[in-house]
Amino acid sequence: MPAQPPLPPLLAPYVSSLPQSSLTVLSSVLGATGNWLVLRFLYAALSAPSNSETAFGLNGSEGVKNRKVVLVSFLRGWEFWRSEAKRLVSFYPSMCIFYCGFEGLDLARLTDKRQFAFVDGLSELFYNPTTATATPRPSFPGTAAPRTVLPVRSQPSPVPARTPQPVPRPGNVSTNPASREIGPVKRLHLSGNGTAALDALERDIATVIKQLKAPIPGEADEPEVLLILDQPDLLLAATGPSKGIGATEMGDWVMGLQQNTHATILTLSSDSPLIHNASASAPQPATPLETEHAAFAIGSAHRAQMVMQLRNLETGAARDVSGVLRVSKGGAWGQNEAGAEGSWEEREVLYFVQRDGGVSVFGRGE
Amino acid sequence: MSFRKRNIGLSAGVDRASALNSTAQPQQAAAAPETNPGIRPSPDDGRPTTSTGSRSLDNLLAGHGGLPIGKTLLIEENGTTDFAGALLRYYAAEGVVQDQKVHVVGMPEQWGRSLPGLIGPADVADEKPAKRKGERMKIAWRYERLGEFGAGVAGSRAPVATTGDQASSAANGDQAQQPAFCHAFDLTKRLTHPSIANITYIPLARTNEPFFVSIHKRLQASITQSPPNTVHRIIIPSLLNPTLYPPEASQPETILPFLHSLRALMSAPSARVTAMITMPLSLFPRSSGLVRWVELLNDGVIELCPFPHSADALATSGAVTAGEEPPQGVLKTYRLPVLHERGGGSDQNVGQDWAFTLSRRKFEIKPFSLPPAEGDKEAQEGAGSSAMPKKADLEF
Repeated sequence: MPAQPPLPPLLAPYVSSLPQSSLTVLSSVLGATGNWLVLRFLYAALSAPSNSETAFGLNGSEGVKNRKVVLVSFLRGWEFWRSEAKRLVSFYPSMCIFYCGFEGLDLARLTDKRQFAFVDGLSELFYNPTTATATPRPSFPGTAAPRTVLPVRSQPSPVPARTPQPVPRPGNVSTNPASREIGPVKRLHLSGNGTAALDALERDIATVIKQLKAPIPGEADEPEVLLILDQPDLLLAATGPSKGIGATEMGDWVMGLQQNTHATILTLSSDSPLIHNASASAPQPATPLETEHAAFAIGSAHRAQMVMQLRNLETGAARDVSGVLRVSKGGAWGQNEAGAEGSWEEREVLYFVQRDGGVSVFGRGE
Repeated sequence: MSFRKRNIGLSAGVDRASALNSTAQPQQAAAAPETNPGIRPSPDDGRPTTSTGSRSLDNLLAGHGGLPIGKTLLIEENGTTDFAGALLRYYAAEGVVQDQKVHVVGMPEQWGRSLPGLIGPADVADEKPAKRKGERMKIAWRYERLGEFGAGVAGSRAPVATTGDQASSAANGDQAQQPAFCHAFDLTKRLTHPSIANITYIPLARTNEPFFVSIHKRLQASITQSPPNTVHRIIIPSLLNPTLYPPEASQPETILPFLHSLRALMSAPSARVTAMITMPLSLFPRSSGLVRWVELLNDGVIELCPFPHSADALATSGAVTAGEEPPQGVLKTYRLPVLHERGGGSDQNVGQDWAFTLSRRKFEIKPFSLPPAEGDKEAQEGAGSSAMPKKADLEF
């Protein structure tokens, strides 16, 4: 199979032109995860202008935009994204030793340059690690932390110091790009119930977006912020109706976050038990988890401009195919004026993730 | 790093590191802090891996030759058998032998006393027929064991001379010094090892905290308080089994936050943790949304489907060749650590049908193939003579 650039040509029109205030839903299943596609979105938005010029030029947009990305990940930590983004090398892997240094996407450097921000929804989302060491940490039900409080460094935790220091409290504005900290600057905590808990998360993420949007001297135009929400359906699955978070609340939450950003990408699990068990024809009655998940996933697809579905090959696993990618128009397609949504057509292609991290995307039979 | 002699292995032990130090190469020594024999870099991408205690399972894990540090493996099992429990015991015993810190959740101390006894390093215990000794390709001696599954990647880093004949004396001495990565265990014996007393048992006691929170706290406390180089193994047998866990544990809002936090705990860059979880599928079918979320929260997902007992007789009479034990069940891989997180594909082991055989000494995973139907001889012959036209009859 021939080498393909980090952004395979077949994929480029789909990932590099996201219309204003659009939602893109990226659904994955257990055996066909979407991380590689998220990385391609990152690459399309953040790679050096020399690479992206051609890609953006195709879509008739006005040259290189000032693009920034906020990645909120609920299932994977900073280390994973950092190391995988580094593997987005545009030269062929046999030359990797020589090119890795300056190709690839260095998320840590981009964080320093304020083009990228990572919001960690994994580390401390449910259980607060410092509670184990009995550090007094007030739990804010609605993060009513006054903004006037000076940024407080977190207490030295028993974790050895290679982990980046988390921002100790939600709501604090302490992301200092000048600091030499590399890594996540914001960790999400879920506390409280229902919409209040979600609102707190929304505020935390919105703070990060605002900090990224804040003009830097030397940058002319307002940056376009792309928000990637990686598997927020975990929130829904792990809270349940007893905590007052359902599909409607989640939908509102995503919509609230969309207001802050240029475009939003939402990744979801769409395994068949999570989608089909909720239908009336299912053999057994659906659990609340299944109903709410199905409602959220389907509702999001209806609100999306574009839906990208990843799934396994129906005919069983193959050695040179990782899965099937289907790009289709979402429920919100065509609501904007014509032409604003880029030119792409619905398609189904195969993809193959190589051992070195490169991806080739090709049609059936090619 | 790149120019190091590969066949020695980075986990070569203390004396090698000290030798490096004495030759005034502090950077080199710093680059390889692994003095831990239980950890070695993956042949695939160099990330640290540790053995599951079963070589066959190590080889299944997407070319890493072991379970990568920071990853979890979920083993689901159908029916009332306990093959997954055997795998867990191997995993625990390997941890004990390697002086890693083993945490067992929800099991009494008797569980730890029934760990299988140590035979020796897996390479020695592996009675491989030395058929191909003579006809080996000498030029690719480093890779000679990479291709075949049974020996696989896990064997490739071992001193090659265990199968070689020329340098056998020298390499045998070498092997005596080199600690093994994976050991073989005997299920009929009991493990006696000085560090077996170090296993931590975390009871599923009811406290006033929400369920699982206290387990997570204890795990976290012992991981953060241990010396930085300690390797931990977390073992959770029969997760959600109602004889162990209260009913509220199987509520999504209880179990999923726990697994998510376990993931968080393991992904911390300073922690060196692996975990293995088993789950009874008869009680929690894979078609339910909860189980799917449990799977999504794990890095590796494997299902064991044991054959019903009557299938044994069938399989023995059938096409199983001499010397092979009949398979006891089918093993399905749904997700493999690291590989699927990146997007899947490109592994020679993915997409195959696997059969497993548990014998006294090992858990073996082999490619599964259906035997030809036994009682169908007449039909086959009949088909061959009448239904299929003779070659001469075919005119083109």
